[in-house]
Amino acid sequence: MLRRPGFQDGGNRMAKTINLSVDLGFIQLKNPIIPASGAFGYGEEFQAFFPLDILGAFVLKGIYKNPRKGNPPPRIHETAAGLLNSIGLAGPGADELKKIITRTAGLTHTPIIVNVCGGSDEEYLEVARIFDAMEEVSILELNISCPNVKAGGKCPAQDRDHTFRLVKLVKENTKKPLMVKLSPNTHDVPSVALAAQEAGADCISLVNTFLGMAVDLKKRAPVFKNIFAGLSGPAIKPLALKLVWEVAKTVSIPVIGIGGITTGKDVLEFILVGASAVQTGTINMVEPCASVRIINELEETMKALSITNLNEIKGRLKL
Amino acid sequence: MVTYIFLDSFWKRNHSKHWKMTRYFALFRVLHTNDRKEGSLFRLLFTSTHIIWDNISMKDETCIVMENKHITKKFYMLKIKAPYISENAKPGNFVMLKASSGIDPLLKRPFGVFNTKYPFAWIYYEVVGKGTAAIANLRTDDNVRALGPLGNRFPPLTGKNILMVAGGRGIAPIHYAISDYAPANNVYLIYGARSAGDLNLVAELKKLDMKKMFLYTDDGSAYQKGFVTTDIRRIIAEHHIDVTVSCGPDAMFESLAHEIGGIGTENWVSLEALMGCGFGICYSCAVKTTADEYKKVCSDGPVFRMEEIAWQKQ
Repeated sequence: MLRRPGFQDGGNRMAKTINLSVDLGFIQLKNPIIPASGAFGYGEEFQAFFPLDILGAFVLKGIYKNPRKGNPPPRIHETAAGLLNSIGLAGPGADELKKIITRTAGLTHTPIIVNVCGGSDEEYLEVARIFDAMEEVSILELNISCPNVKAGGKCPAQDRDHTFRLVKLVKENTKKPLMVKLSPNTHDVPSVALAAQEAGADCISLVNTFLGMAVDLKKRAPVFKNIFAGLSGPAIKPLALKLVWEVAKTVSIPVIGIGGITTGKDVLEFILVGASAVQTGTINMVEPCASVRIINELEETMKALSITNLNEIKGRLKL
Repeated sequence: MVTYIFLDSFWKRNHSKHWKMTRYFALFRVLHTNDRKEGSLFRLLFTSTHIIWDNISMKDETCIVMENKHITKKFYMLKIKAPYISENAKPGNFVMLKASSGIDPLLKRPFGVFNTKYPFAWIYYEVVGKGTAAIANLRTDDNVRALGPLGNRFPPLTGKNILMVAGGRGIAPIHYAISDYAPANNVYLIYGARSAGDLNLVAELKKLDMKKMFLYTDDGSAYQKGFVTTDIRRIIAEHHIDVTVSCGPDAMFESLAHEIGGIGTENWVSLEALMGCGFGICYSCAVKTTADEYKKVCSDGPVFRMEEIAWQKQ
């Protein structure tokens, strides 16, 4: 009853010639597909759809020290091929997440990445330290797009010096590899990336959501109580691709591309402009098994384009 | 050795002309076959199969549209061939539907299940935006992506006097619940809508084994003029109602909570919300509870106790 193309149609032979693994220097991933923070829950929800073992790694929903309720509804609004969200980083708090991670780690050997949030530099450090001490966690992703209380609601990612200060503080006080997730909502993303690298970041992931807004004509008011919300989904792919290219040219540490990735071809495009791996976001909500499809498509597309190893094409964009 | 199974390979189906053949097949892939120390290949495959089967509660199916019938105004009845959903759905469950695999409209939309009969499921819906408009354009034999069954269910009840309350398109899950409750309970129904064209499916409802049905339109264009709450206290007292189960717009719930909250009946509501994913990962469908916290309509609900929800404007 069970069809196994892997055995029947020469899949084994293919597996020997096509290598999906990527090397970030500090960790080797079996493939470049990493579901992004906020779009993959805490991982365990997806075990009902496919084994987490097939993924390169996965990022848990962003976490603060204490539980957070999140924003009042409406929290999402669909736009043309995109999604505006204003969830407000709702979460159970660091202590509860520790229990969830222990549970999730029992399901899979895939590296788990914790997305560290904070309303102040001290909170970032506190949360980072909590998960730095957890054996089950492989990488810390620093979400520097959280509104900062002391910076008047501005997020660290909007300020080169603040990014440097914060990344340095966290890096010096933790042992695990540190991935810094950049925001596109600043005029000079490459210089913020460079600041993160100088402060000791092990890799960069970009981009977080683009700020946008939506209007309710009947109420003649903004859809969201916060007025602005973060845009994600296929609509932002060209914008993300440009920023990933600019940042990959600027820094020497690995770059993880994020933004509107829905197909295997999208993955190769991001790798061609310089990304070492990618994170998939909104598509995981639309299509729970998207990761499985994207991995299959990636392999098929590589075969069609005679690419045997992702390193061959990484950053080899012909100008 | 890492094995993975991808049950019901929708990708193959979606992109193959022979999708019917591949429909019940699981797709096995074996990665990294260089490490053979962990045990025999077949033992691993066998074990994984069981782990996956045990965990599955919902499924992302590509379904065929059997019929997409326009009823009145913006109301439609969709019949889809959905083997997994029709076999596993319980009254109160919902499904997420998307008309195509394209990226606009992007997200699936949630719909309460109207009825099931293996291998078919019926969805009664109203066109309210671009997602439902795309679904209304589906024709017989088209494909539709369906994720489900999702959410919790209405409580199982026997030997009770149950009052079902439905407003507008809220009749969908109520119909499914009545067909479940009807033989073993005394079921009464209050069903209201804006006007005659919005109050549909009365003939379908008459086929169910109910004690009595009370029909209202806001403008009096058909049946009795009034709201579902107009005579509700009298009906509850007259028929010794133990339990109420309701589904409709927020405004209906608010006046219901005002009318029947705290009169001693056990009250259940099935909520509607804007949803991103439908299975609890995106935190979009928040609803405020009386404990001043947010719950997720998709995975904590959609069925809640009426007293649990903070009904004032959120």
